[in-house]
Amino acid sequence: MYLYDPIDREFLTDRSNEFRHQVARRLAGELTEDQFKPLRLMNGLYLQLHAYMLRIAIPYGSLNARQARRLAWIARTYDKGYGHFTTRQNIQFNWIKLKDAPDILDALAEVDLHAIQTSGNCIRNVTADPYAGATAEEIDDPRVWSEVLRQWSTLHPEFSFLPRKFKIAITGALADRAAVKVHDIGLILRKGRDGQIGFEVIVGGGQGRTPYVGPTIRSYLPAEHLLSYVEAILRVYNRHGRRDNIYKARIKILVAALGAEEFARQVEEEWGKIDAARANLPAGELARVRAAFAQTNFETLPAVSDAFEAARAASPALQRFVRNNVKAHKQPGYAIVEVSLKAIGQTPGDATAEQLEVVADLAERYSLDDLRVTHAQNLVLPHVKLDDLPAVHAALEAAGLATANIDLASDIIACPGLDYCALANARAIPIAQDIARKFADPDRAETVGELKIKISGCINACGHHHVAHIGILGVDKKGEEFYQLSLGGSGAEDASIGRILGPGLSADKVAPAIDALVDAYLNIRTGDERFLDTYRRVGLEPFKEAVYAQAD
Amino acid sequence: MPKLIKLAGDTAEWAEDIFTHVGDDDALPEGDVILSLARFQAEGEILLSNSRRVGVRIEPDQEVEALAYDLPRLSVVALAFPKYRDGRAYTSARLLRERLGFTGEVRAVGDVLQEQAGFMVRCGFDAFEPADGATPEAWTKAAHRYRHVYQRAADNRPVAFEERAS
Amino acid sequence: MKAVTANRLIDGEVVFWKAGAWVEGFGDAQLFGEDQDAEVEAVVANGKAQPTVVVDVYPIDLAPVDGGLAPISYRERIRALGPTNEPTHGKQAVGGEVIEALRHAAGAARSTGRVDLIRRK
Repeated sequence: MYLYDPIDREFLTDRSNEFRHQVARRLAGELTEDQFKPLRLMNGLYLQLHAYMLRIAIPYGSLNARQARRLAWIARTYDKGYGHFTTRQNIQFNWIKLKDAPDILDALAEVDLHAIQTSGNCIRNVTADPYAGATAEEIDDPRVWSEVLRQWSTLHPEFSFLPRKFKIAITGALADRAAVKVHDIGLILRKGRDGQIGFEVIVGGGQGRTPYVGPTIRSYLPAEHLLSYVEAILRVYNRHGRRDNIYKARIKILVAALGAEEFARQVEEEWGKIDAARANLPAGELARVRAAFAQTNFETLPAVSDAFEAARAASPALQRFVRNNVKAHKQPGYAIVEVSLKAIGQTPGDATAEQLEVVADLAERYSLDDLRVTHAQNLVLPHVKLDDLPAVHAALEAAGLATANIDLASDIIACPGLDYCALANARAIPIAQDIARKFADPDRAETVGELKIKISGCINACGHHHVAHIGILGVDKKGEEFYQLSLGGSGAEDASIGRILGPGLSADKVAPAIDALVDAYLNIRTGDERFLDTYRRVGLEPFKEAVYAQAD
Repeated sequence: MPKLIKLAGDTAEWAEDIFTHVGDDDALPEGDVILSLARFQAEGEILLSNSRRVGVRIEPDQEVEALAYDLPRLSVVALAFPKYRDGRAYTSARLLRERLGFTGEVRAVGDVLQEQAGFMVRCGFDAFEPADGATPEAWTKAAHRYRHVYQRAADNRPVAFEERAS
Repeated sequence: MKAVTANRLIDGEVVFWKAGAWVEGFGDAQLFGEDQDAEVEAVVANGKAQPTVVVDVYPIDLAPVDGGLAPISYRERIRALGPTNEPTHGKQAVGGEVIEALRHAAGAARSTGRVDLIRRK
């Protein structure tokens, strides 16, 4: 794990001092709200429905125990005892006071955390595969490159006033757990013909009101050129992205307007003019960052743990947990453990201070002091010994964190929606709760299998509804909450944008409609097809009929 | 007439503005002038030859590369911020300094606020017409709020990785 | 009926105008009749002139519901209550008749049709 050095720490100190000064000037009336708003946004501070919301970056989704405990402390001290993990590896606190925000930034800085560029028209928190450094299928560790980009993009003097926000995601594995194809820039680590490491560069994916799966503009970029190439992309965007219409200002609109080929040509032309030696990261610094992520303290263990096998044989609950929440690790004798924040009836992605502390303790004791956050709003203990799995499971169970539903129907992504968010048109959380209750029976949920349901409370699509197997979009229809269903999206390596099923439904009709969709799927699926596979085979019609025939 | 702040080394100070901003339809005054790109392209040749100092004002949708040929003869390039949120002038400034080798004054005009000072200085601006009444003291402070920087830009400050390596 | 609402600058709390002051409870909000548009405008203007006290000042439309009055828009009802997924958080924590009336006001939006929220979303 990358540890901040005195330079990184002094930077955070300077940042929070700057913000303290800006808050003081705002409270004294020296800055107008219009002048102050972008400044607070660049420190992750939004004014929401009930209070300010502070969005804290968790770069590439990685936390240590001390950091997780500090988040718990902030939840207890400045919030109402809980935080909300987002779809971009951030955590949000919902009940923040403006006057406390500088103190909170100081408290975060003490543990190398910050809220820099978690909002605003700048380069946002760089996200990555939450299994980085743990999964065997990895070509290279995406955290290395995420950290390189984190530093490079931090207060970038040229790219802090972009036409619109800018999000970068990186995966080093073939399975895409970072939704790289629906980001402004998606980077997939690839091995070149010469055995060297490079990136497939995808630009102009995105969600919001105009969803796109991003096109690849370069199939292989030697890794050492990453910063100069990203600089070229950002420069073309900064100069030519639209600034006249907020809805057309994202880079995806520019890429679509120019065509991927012409956009790529402009990037390559600009890239050719950049002094690569100045723009790229020196090899020494790259080696320093890489060394920070090299995990050297794995124990040499047998691939099979007798203790674990015995415990598993004796516990159906552990079996279920292992089936759904435990994933293969690259190191023999270890496993990746997903911690679901989707207990039936809970708010998706919310964790209480106590839960954060439990997970921090487990990370420290059983996972090499490493905890990850996923874009699906769950947590990951990336390096758990098989021997320790029974103990970890028991501790999670005691804290209400052992729900065995990863990627099942009750593992629903939901944005805060109209319960908290000033932009929302409709609530998302109660809809998620209703649907999850339909799949409270874990046998039924497992029978249905992988089913990614995602809910957004407005067209900004923070809940990723466009790339859900079943997407749900809240809209305002004559002052009432209505929900539009779409099918067939995916945010993974087989990315696609969902298609709208039919007319919107009132809130009480949504969960029954999901039930009807699932029943239809169970009737027509063949073999081990997932819901998404069946949809792709049979199309919209059978599902449409299942929902609307019943509704009539 | 807005007051002008200029960088002298690391410090910002008040400076007398010897240039007059001339609109496209304004009568041409005596002395040193800053013109729009269009007017410069029409009249610049004559003005430069009658021993005035000439600056050109570049709007965000205009490319500084258009000035490449004339830069050695220009005293000022004024980069406009119609809104401070419009970040195109930062790219223009870096290109002027780092790609086109311009050594004259790069001036920020328009919606220029002290919160942007650090970004502007890093991109190569060295003169400012603040719209928020900022003093040179406030400007100097804002420009030097951070002890470290994470990326190379036009100011040649040592980057974090250079500090680490030294 | 109308009331005037805003968020308090220093902590973001939802507040309502009451005879010269900003109060936290919806039940304490000053009510303006249909013939008092000029007064509403004056209160909004007054709020906008207090940029270090409140932000986002705007009027909201109210309608009678069982047990009292409630904002017509869903959004405003949630602002007056708190998040519906955490029934003990925010203004709703105090309970009482006004809160109950707001909670059960779901029919209002339906019966009154679309309302201009005034504030851009």
